[in-house]
Amino acid sequence: MTGHSPDDHDARTDGGTRTRDPPETAPDDFQDTGTRLVSKIPTGARAVRYAVAVGIAVLWVVPLLGLLMASVRPLEQIIQGWWHIEGMTVTFQNYAEAWTFKSGPMRQALFNTAIVTIPSVLAVTLLGTMVAYPFARFDFPVKTGLFFLLIVVMAAPPELVAMGNYNTLRATGLFDTYMGLILVHIGWGMGWVVMFLRNYLLGLPEELEEAARIDGASRYQIFKSIVLPYSMPALVSVAVIQFTWVWNSFFFPLVFMRSTDKKLAPQVLPLMKGRLQIDWGLVAAGSVLTMIVPIVLFLVLQKYYKRGMVAAVAD
Amino acid sequence: MSSTDLFEGGFGADVDWEKTKAILIFMAPGLTLFGIFSVGPMVYSAWGSFYVWDAFTVQQFVGLDQWVATFTDDAIINWSNLASFTYPMGALPQNLIWMVIHVPLSTVLGLGLALLFADLRGRRILRSMVFLGFTTPTVVIGLVLLFVYDPQAGVFNEILRTIGLEGQVRNWLQEPQIAIYALIAGGVWVQTGFSMLVYSSALAGIDPSLLESARIDGAGPFRRFKDVIWPLVKPVTAVVVIMSTIWVIRIFAIVYAAGGPSGGPNGVFSVLGLEVYQAAFSIPIEYGKAMVIALVELIITLPMAWYIARMD
Repeated sequence: MTGHSPDDHDARTDGGTRTRDPPETAPDDFQDTGTRLVSKIPTGARAVRYAVAVGIAVLWVVPLLGLLMASVRPLEQIIQGWWHIEGMTVTFQNYAEAWTFKSGPMRQALFNTAIVTIPSVLAVTLLGTMVAYPFARFDFPVKTGLFFLLIVVMAAPPELVAMGNYNTLRATGLFDTYMGLILVHIGWGMGWVVMFLRNYLLGLPEELEEAARIDGASRYQIFKSIVLPYSMPALVSVAVIQFTWVWNSFFFPLVFMRSTDKKLAPQVLPLMKGRLQIDWGLVAAGSVLTMIVPIVLFLVLQKYYKRGMVAAVAD
Repeated sequence: MSSTDLFEGGFGADVDWEKTKAILIFMAPGLTLFGIFSVGPMVYSAWGSFYVWDAFTVQQFVGLDQWVATFTDDAIINWSNLASFTYPMGALPQNLIWMVIHVPLSTVLGLGLALLFADLRGRRILRSMVFLGFTTPTVVIGLVLLFVYDPQAGVFNEILRTIGLEGQVRNWLQEPQIAIYALIAGGVWVQTGFSMLVYSSALAGIDPSLLESARIDGAGPFRRFKDVIWPLVKPVTAVVVIMSTIWVIRIFAIVYAAGGPSGGPNGVFSVLGLEVYQAAFSIPIEYGKAMVIALVELIITLPMAWYIARMD
């Protein structure tokens, strides 16, 4: 025991109680309740860090908190400042107005957004996996060229494909239809989805597929019963991220959806500003209705969302 | 030349037709849509930028005329205002100014917050709070900024009043020379959540014993950051920077929501995306110009995408 200070807990071998605070990284399970409680009370520099961290996090949500407050208050109170709590009246009038807003009722707009988002996300996830699988597993002549195209599309702004797609949809009668916008979203999402799933599949071991192949399974059976189930976590990540992007997307609907009853929710929001005095309550209620879906999805499937975001950039 | 020779390079002499058929069946549906709605329109724009357009119909070949006209258009580059650094300078310089401020700021803030939250209890909640803006539709972000900077109802002006700067209270998005910075601040607010998230996961991958041994060796916080943390998060930085840059060059909905399709009074915070939209879909329709501007956006981001591909 020479060379160690008497309270060096690492040196204890008799299983006695620790005499020093455990390191910050120690798993909770290995500590008794008392130690855990004590270690929870931060001291000195650490307390300052907590204060700063919480302060910054709160500061970060203040603008969104303001939006939420404005959505449930009458306009006179919003103009006085949503941060004044005294005399606050809660009303759902703004939501009622947004729901039936005449240049694009939220009732219809949210329905339209769902009608476009759900099929385009499901389709791009399935079709994307089907492209990514041979891409990750087999060699074929145009592979490098395809890889390059995927990269270019990932870098390209959506504006670059707007003109061509506008003419295509006009020519095929798909302009201002759900199907037209769905197809544009599928084609546009394909770039990152294929790249993401290809990277994921490259990391999956091939042994299972080979074993199934030797057992006489066809390539389609292998895809259905091995590749798809094993890719599930990645597929959920793709679907969640793609869902938020399509749901939130503004530019494509703005260009391709024109009639009032076809407008998507994000598209309607700027119309709520009005001409002179902005009706903040209406704008806020519409915004909350639109953002609630991706935010709830994010909160519920956070794990997949974060993992996907990180993998999408880290790979 | 026989048909097998054609495939000599890729498949070798014995072509596995069963495999080829499988590959085609797997890839055809996805790649067809990818071709029609992504690659096709891009090629169309690249080709169309050398032609004169009558509304949505292509006319005759004019070579680089369209490109030259775009770069001398005041809405894209206002050369005289650019020389005196007065807004509006045109969408291209303004978009680049946005990039130059936004990218480093959001990257550094993201890393800072990731380090700050790294070992705190409740870090998951703290991170979610900062990340919330990134899951919000960008058009909502634009409207929120409009609200925040409102002279009466805006919380930013209330803060100025509280700290005794009543004289500074104004509608920040109507101030020609300042408005763009007010919007950039909003962009940073959103993007920081993204870079924080990516850095957080990179930090989580660092072996704590490495930091511990550095601490025991007497390395201070700065040395620990420089010698242990930075080398490990450096590769992630490249990706964060590239993703932020692509995000900024594409920026559209925030600016549209905050300042309409013209990008604020006289286009003082107009960006390239807005100019494409204006040129292509508002009267007079200038398809060729829209294509040139969209290609300029691609030219800026392409080297970065190339870099990502090379990293693979």
